[in-house]
Amino acid sequence: MTRQKKTRMKVDCSRREFLLGALGAGIAASGSSLLLGSCTRKDWRADSFIVKVSNYKADIASVLLEGFRELGVEAGEIKGKRILLKPNLIEPHVGAGHINTHPNVVRGAVEAFLRFGASEVLVGEGPGHSRDSVLVLEESGLGDVLVEDRIPFADLNYEQGYAVENLGRRTQLASLTLPATLKRADWVVSVAKLKTHHWTGVTLSMKNLFGLMPGIYYGWPKNVLHWEGIDRCIFDINATVKPHFAIVDGIVGMEGDGPIMGEPRHAGMIVMGRNLAAVDATCARAMGIDPSKVVHLAAASGRLGTIRESDIRQRGENIASVRTDFALMEKIHAQRGLRLE
Amino acid sequence: MKGRSSEISLLLTALRSRGVDSGGFSNRPGGEFRVDATGWGAVALAAAGTGEDLLGTARARLASEQQKDGRVSVSPDHPEAFWPTALAILAWHGSRAHREAQSRAVKFLLSMTGRHFVKDPEAPVEHDTSIRGWPWIANTHSMVGPTALSLIALRIAGHGENELSREATRMLMDRQLPTGGWNYGNTFVYGHELYPQPENTGLALDALAGSVLRQDVSRSLGYLESRLTRLRAPLSLGWGLLGLGAWEIRPRKASLWLSESFELQKKYGPYDTTLLSLLLMAVLATGGLASVVEKQEIR
Repeated sequence: MTRQKKTRMKVDCSRREFLLGALGAGIAASGSSLLLGSCTRKDWRADSFIVKVSNYKADIASVLLEGFRELGVEAGEIKGKRILLKPNLIEPHVGAGHINTHPNVVRGAVEAFLRFGASEVLVGEGPGHSRDSVLVLEESGLGDVLVEDRIPFADLNYEQGYAVENLGRRTQLASLTLPATLKRADWVVSVAKLKTHHWTGVTLSMKNLFGLMPGIYYGWPKNVLHWEGIDRCIFDINATVKPHFAIVDGIVGMEGDGPIMGEPRHAGMIVMGRNLAAVDATCARAMGIDPSKVVHLAAASGRLGTIRESDIRQRGENIASVRTDFALMEKIHAQRGLRLE
Repeated sequence: MKGRSSEISLLLTALRSRGVDSGGFSNRPGGEFRVDATGWGAVALAAAGTGEDLLGTARARLASEQQKDGRVSVSPDHPEAFWPTALAILAWHGSRAHREAQSRAVKFLLSMTGRHFVKDPEAPVEHDTSIRGWPWIANTHSMVGPTALSLIALRIAGHGENELSREATRMLMDRQLPTGGWNYGNTFVYGHELYPQPENTGLALDALAGSVLRQDVSRSLGYLESRLTRLRAPLSLGWGLLGLGAWEIRPRKASLWLSESFELQKKYGPYDTTLLSLLLMAVLATGGLASVVEKQEIR
């Protein structure tokens, strides 16, 4: 099976579209209409896989291996490769485990990739809010899992960076500074948490990649990216890093005032796939959210992947069988009007 | 680690092993020179009153990294990431040879602030966005960490009464959470009070000691005293103890906690140089960071 069942079709770029795109890249203020300005649209097809998982005691590695099979991931693609898993560990808070990707999901992902023949699996994160990665590991519970399973961890916030051209150019940033660990990785896997978010509507596998950006160059909480526009930066980071796979921990997610202060919401599922935009669109629908109304997902559609339901082949469970409407807050601008009809 | 002298000896040995041939320190074993690691390494060595050779070359290496306008950034190709400037001011303190470099760094900080603006009444954040401090990165909003560190550095260098320093003190007080503590720099978003963080609380308390009334930070002191009993992570514990120390609070079990924090390296591997330095400072500076840096003799 090819990496992704998709057909790529360039759409002619009109002068008007080009001007809109240039304007969009030159203005820092966020806004969906500007984000949509681009001259390289493609038609995409993608698969996403939904599996019901009732709790974190489940055999998550086996669940993920089933997902690999359903998605056409072959051992030959993984064998001998270095896999970087990027969980969401934005900040720890005792008694609020729903903030971060659950340690057992990370453990399951490590095991699944190793069983598929990966030469090395490492976990890397640059926590967005916390400068203390040891505290994050200790209090999220991930530290014990990493030590027990002898999984290396890279604190991306303090890594030496290397500059690459910003291939997204929705922001004014000509280049992005990425952590050295990324150079060593053959596959970048976003291991995200299913959450609503007060600035971006949702935070799923695409938004999770904010944590790749080293704090020593971008600040805490990634201040440069906030000023450039969070939605635009999500596009730029994903366009530049080109992540290979997404696994979203939706066993217990967060609703309302995410990504920190929201309430836990049991959704009992994991969603995965090769195309992050498609995975996030599936997650959004499963949360009762219209992905086309989420600015960064709409911007990604046709450019970094697809969010159109008709272009996404659902593997495993269908969306209706897992749909759990996550609470949205009317007072939160980014969550207003997102409910799926 | 057993006993204070043993703790100091172990930390110094680990710190010395991070020295690089070209001067300064790497952040990881066998790594390349890093500005932030060198800044902290120099501060810790000076506080310990040892390692003259390493300290001298570290200070000189920092000076060679200083740019014309006085800033010291994370790397030459990232001048906007100037947050180590405050660290360099501390590292050069007490060095006659680096007075001029320190003076230019001070001048830079006093000419620099973050992006500030009058808040829209409908804005979802509640802190006063107009009060100036210092940001991590140029052209971004001022945050608690760099503001507190800059304030400590400026005060030690004799500029604590500067107008911007006084405003930054107000900025930190404005960012204090009503239930106690500080985080990276937001208090409320959409009506929810955010969680405090021990490392930022310690930093802010260290920066504010001597400038504000104890009663105005009492909840934060209480939060930190309680929080430290449950953590051994070096950054949080180190800043936590320095922050409490600045207010003359030294938890009875501080030494044990520091030992346990050092031992956590068996679990997570060798700490960054920054963290080793901070632990050493927390062992030495029982009265807060200024208590050891200010006392350094001019040489």
